Amino acid sequence: MENNYSIEVQDVYKTFNVYLDKANSLKEKLLFWQRNKKEIREVLKGINLNINKGEAVALIGVNGSGKSTLLKLMTKIIYPNKGKIITNGKLTSLLELGAGFHPDFSGRENIYFNASIFGLTKKQIDERVDKIIEFSELEKYIDNPVRTYSSGMFMRLAFAVAINVDAEILLVDEILSVGDQHFQEKCLNKMKELKDEGKTMVFVTHNLESAKELCDRTVWLHQGVIRMDGNTDEVINEYLKETK
Amino acid sequence: MSVFKGLYEYRELLKTSIKKDIRGKYKSSILGVIWSFLNPLLQLAVYAIVFPLIMKSNIPNYTVFVCCGLIPWTFFSTAISRTSFVMIENANIIKKVYFPREILPISIVTSEMVNFIISTVIILAFVMAYGIGFSWYIVFYPVILIIQYILLIGISLLVSSITVYIRDLQHFIGILLQLLFYATPIVYGLDIIPESFRWILKINPMSYIIDGYRSIFYYQKMPDFVGLGIVLAISVILCIIGYLVFNKLQKRFAEEL
Repeated sequence: MENNYSIEVQDVYKTFNVYLDKANSLKEKLLFWQRNKKEIREVLKGINLNINKGEAVALIGVNGSGKSTLLKLMTKIIYPNKGKIITNGKLTSLLELGAGFHPDFSGRENIYFNASIFGLTKKQIDERVDKIIEFSELEKYIDNPVRTYSSGMFMRLAFAVAINVDAEILLVDEILSVGDQHFQEKCLNKMKELKDEGKTMVFVTHNLESAKELCDRTVWLHQGVIRMDGNTDEVINEYLKETK
Repeated sequence: MSVFKGLYEYRELLKTSIKKDIRGKYKSSILGVIWSFLNPLLQLAVYAIVFPLIMKSNIPNYTVFVCCGLIPWTFFSTAISRTSFVMIENANIIKKVYFPREILPISIVTSEMVNFIISTVIILAFVMAYGIGFSWYIVFYPVILIIQYILLIGISLLVSSITVYIRDLQHFIGILLQLLFYATPIVYGLDIIPESFRWILKINPMSYIIDGYRSIFYYQKMPDFVGLGIVLAISVILCIIGYLVFNKLQKRFAEEL
């Protein structure tokens, strides 16, 4: 029964301490203790959300509504102040592409390093490396150091690694704007393919068109609470009405 | 137990970061290799020249004596001072990708251990050059090495996680290590320390470890296994405490960095 959910978010609260002038060192903490003003910013206020296996869900909302924070909580980069998040299955997040890339290493070495951050073993990477290179369309440059890549090439390589990890849950933050039109379409198709394979996906996006194309369900976050949750078309219609 | 499961799942990351670290050090240049030998050798030269001048020491083969203490000490102190930076160095990845954070300090300590094993050649060379020769007690080398490794893992978990919150700890650690250097019988023998101060050496786990290495290479006798056993027990406890603290603190790493 419980195992039908890929992600369970139970009554999650998250606050950030925003230091206006942060005293980082002990000296500063002692000398300027009165300066250490902090503002507590409530980003998420009681989120309850269950995502089924094989569901593709879009998270929409204006800037600062807590979408990215929710995604970070799901990947366990940060932890909630209150509440619980349970995930079932191997999880990959594409929060920021190429986070672990080392500029002096070649594209191929970076594939290995980046994929190992996602928890793949050497053997698994060996099996995938050709597929990754093919997807990135960087065959000619793959043995050059990554610092020689253009930003588009960099993104393509990073995306190719992340998408080929074969995770059961994929969390994506606003990266459908990778590369040119051709590569974007390729990414979108790959995502659809993964969705058909029964992977669970959560997208944070401002691109409502691609949300419509990919997701059956959309969650609208507004000021840290879920404003609306349901069929993509309906939610997006309401969202557009509100924001116009 | 979930610790070991997480580490096992991410074993490739652990392997690549250890390899990257070692390769970075020895990368491309022969000079890289030379430096990692030259540094302890020069230090050794300084101590071997200065201390016999200012101190009346009657230790035979003083250079070998210092060497047996200095090389393991370098392993200890570089591993600790490097783990105090490791989270800040890797802030970029920590903020963006999930992986078991303990991999970072563990890979530092492990790659420093590999470095130490390579540097052991220096000890062996000196032992040979001074005509002391080898004894079968050398078989205990891995035992002492593992105890030192476990001790370092415990310390590095504490140091690496606490420095995220208190950045100055890095500077304190530098000073503390220097103090500890003189509170460990590296450049002097136990006998020159007045009775009233010996307790400092007795509560210092590194004393037992250095003494262990010295026993097998220099004195060529059985290491003090009672002392080493106690150090092992303390190290294991330190690892458990270190892990609990680390686990608690790592939850806010991405926010604090």
